Amino acid sequence: MLTNLGFGSLVITFALSLYGIFAAIYGERKNLYRFVESARWAMLLTFPMITLVTLCIIGLLVTQHYEVQYVYNVTSQSMPLYLKITALWGGQSGSLVFWAWLMSAFASAVTLRKWNRDRDFLPWVIVVCLVTLAFFLSMIILFENPFQRFWSTSGGQQIVAMFQPAGSQLIIPADGRGLNPLLRHPGMVIHPPMLYLGFVSFVIPFAFGIAALITGRKDDRWIRLTRRWTLVAWMFLSIGLVLGSRWAYDVLGWGGYWAWDPVENAAFMPWLTGTAFLHSVMIQEKRGLFKRWNMILVILTYSLVIFGTFLTRSGVLSSVHAFAQSAIGPMFFAFIGITFLVSLALLIKRWNDLNSEGQMNSLLSRESLFLVNNLLFMGVLAVVFWGTVFPLISELFTGQKVTVSAPFYERSTGPLFAGLLLLMGIAPLSAWGHSTWKTLGKAMWKPGLLSLLVLIAMVISGIRSFGALLGLWLTSFVIFVTLYEFWRGMIARHRRSGENYFTALIRLAARNRRRYGGYVIHLSIVLMAIGIIGIESFQTQTQAKLIPGESLQLAGYTVTYESLAEFDVQDGRNVARAVLNVSKNGKNLGELYPRRDYFYDSQQPMTIPGVRSTIEDDLYVILVNWEEISTNGATFKVFHNPLVNWLWFGGILLIFGSFIAAWPDPEKGLQLESITKSRQSAVSSSISAD
Amino acid sequence: MENPEETKKTLPRWAVVTAFVVLLGFLGILGWGLKNAQQGPVKVGQPVPVFNLTTFDGQVVSTSDLKGKVIVVNFWASWCKPCEQEAAELEEAWQSYRESDQVYFFGVDYVDTETQAKKYIEKFNITYPNGPDLRTSISQLFRITGVPETYVIDKNGNLANAKIGPYESLAEIKQMIDPLISE
Repeated sequence: MLTNLGFGSLVITFALSLYGIFAAIYGERKNLYRFVESARWAMLLTFPMITLVTLCIIGLLVTQHYEVQYVYNVTSQSMPLYLKITALWGGQSGSLVFWAWLMSAFASAVTLRKWNRDRDFLPWVIVVCLVTLAFFLSMIILFENPFQRFWSTSGGQQIVAMFQPAGSQLIIPADGRGLNPLLRHPGMVIHPPMLYLGFVSFVIPFAFGIAALITGRKDDRWIRLTRRWTLVAWMFLSIGLVLGSRWAYDVLGWGGYWAWDPVENAAFMPWLTGTAFLHSVMIQEKRGLFKRWNMILVILTYSLVIFGTFLTRSGVLSSVHAFAQSAIGPMFFAFIGITFLVSLALLIKRWNDLNSEGQMNSLLSRESLFLVNNLLFMGVLAVVFWGTVFPLISELFTGQKVTVSAPFYERSTGPLFAGLLLLMGIAPLSAWGHSTWKTLGKAMWKPGLLSLLVLIAMVISGIRSFGALLGLWLTSFVIFVTLYEFWRGMIARHRRSGENYFTALIRLAARNRRRYGGYVIHLSIVLMAIGIIGIESFQTQTQAKLIPGESLQLAGYTVTYESLAEFDVQDGRNVARAVLNVSKNGKNLGELYPRRDYFYDSQQPMTIPGVRSTIEDDLYVILVNWEEISTNGATFKVFHNPLVNWLWFGGILLIFGSFIAAWPDPEKGLQLESITKSRQSAVSSSISAD
Repeated sequence: MENPEETKKTLPRWAVVTAFVVLLGFLGILGWGLKNAQQGPVKVGQPVPVFNLTTFDGQVVSTSDLKGKVIVVNFWASWCKPCEQEAAELEEAWQSYRESDQVYFFGVDYVDTETQAKKYIEKFNITYPNGPDLRTSISQLFRITGVPETYVIDKNGNLANAKIGPYESLAEIKQMIDPLISE
């Protein structure tokens, strides 16, 4: 019943999106606005339809219909309700439906806006969104149908099919295989939706960019319209990345958070281009420069999103994340090819129209610093891209898939990231159009001096690693610059209006959300950088086999092995759990319980570390191995991860900053007008400066 | 990246051609990788490329030195429960062919830690050469889908048969190998 309803809705939605594509193109070509309007309604209708499909799958998952192959593959009776629901994105076909659902939600939201001023964009935005949606739906219907069931034919054969083959009986297994235990983690419950949200919302700026290319509009309207979408997409992608790191840290049990795995890279690459885009659009808005470059960046970001999804799901590169081998590869490949080629062709066609309205006239101006920022981001992208596709290239030329390891990425991106940190400190102080060393130095010397004091303090405290000193000095510089910016703004406002300091600070940020939200995001990135520098430069580890009562020492901590117990838990796990006592300088700090869970249904073990977290550091203990009761020894691996928690704090601050920057302005019309005015004056002043 | 001073110039033809060639080249590599990924394991009847195994004792065994012998390649891992089902039978089979010098066994340890793997070998008294699959190159050669999987190569170096999952019995293993010896 639910299977047929779900599949039926899926097919109808697919037809609906095809109709929308044709209606939009036809309406635009023949200048019949009612067809475009009809396409818009088709777009809006896809959302409730896919919602229905999603609800059908959730219904099947929750009511344990194990005759449905997807339900059988991702759930089992012992799983709690919330995991049964989130199993929607626990397997290939379900997650594709979820992708399509989010995509239609975003696309519908964007079509709901008032289009009066931008009517020429509308049909093409609809076309881009619906083509993407139709592609995903066709993949689900043809290759990854979540509603297929098990049947036993009269010949005794067991097959999987959507509709009942003649003379066959439904097979209803008593229990399912259960979700992959690695995915049974709270971080895993929210990590995929966040990444998907980031991925799908980048479709919106791309759709507007393509619409601008097709219609030939040269102004920056498409950028202004999609600024918030881009920021929201970027925020979700960032959250997804941080949560993924947190999950790796908690669940994979190797003491780290980032492995430069192809799938991690696949999500990181659009983040890099997206971040570059967020910065470079400002140059087009303020100075009318970089039009082509912005177009390239938005196309690149979307292409990398699709490319990443393809890598994850086609089995081209092996990875811890890889979904089971599937037939969607060739179709996905065709879609990628068409997207890339069409975008490139459009870009070349409009290349000459997208010329800059001005030019750069100062090496230290904000725009030239942003240009350097973009180049550095592209440098990081080049490194990550090369490392990701290198196994393919090496296989092509040598016949062996050689994977690139973490040190390659760390060594080659390290200096680029240091450069980006430095820019984060300088660029906010430089002016649009024109800056000199003198003006810049005047704004910079106070925070610079403070950061030098921090550097001296670090050297005195005994830090000798060059990388760590440089990194932490740069982070302190950015922190002081950013706080100084807040301080100066607040003082100026306080003097001018007589508001108290706190009100002045709040109003300052509220009046100029984009700028101060951006600063908060900068601070959050710096906090994350501190965490990364901490764990990369100062992580220490040890491994020891202990018998109860014995202890080991690491970084001032004493870890004493007390006992170990093995027992079965009701939800189908066998747990081996060790009890360790932790103390530092003779002071008892409590107990840690590293454990190993063995899942009977999927026959898979999982290592869960015992972690003691403080602002300063993490003590991270993994139970590696243990002997039978008679000998009673157990092996532990212990990591000391200084500063790692700043990475997670930074993640939370990033969300906060993004909200400040993306929050809608009440007086939007006024704001737009004043921006245009300020841009005109900036341009004219730069002209007069010549 | 555009140079603002040259913005009035049109895009030269070579740049357009280069852009498309680079893009098509990239798509080509991607498509080729996809084709490989979709190919599945080495097909029965096809020649198996030469590969080397570095055993846990540090010796290097190459299939090129084993011409004229039947080679059994078994993929396993210490964390793999189904592998345990066939471990004793595989060893028994090896013992029965060992004297004849007609058959060679390879144990390829897939994604594992050495300590765990050695324990596994000790537990089942496995005596045929075993070694880690360094950089997973051997498993990629066969494009295995999981462990256990066993591939039997005939005297001419062609893949004779492949078994996905554990062998059920000693008889089943012998059934795969015996016809190839008399060839």
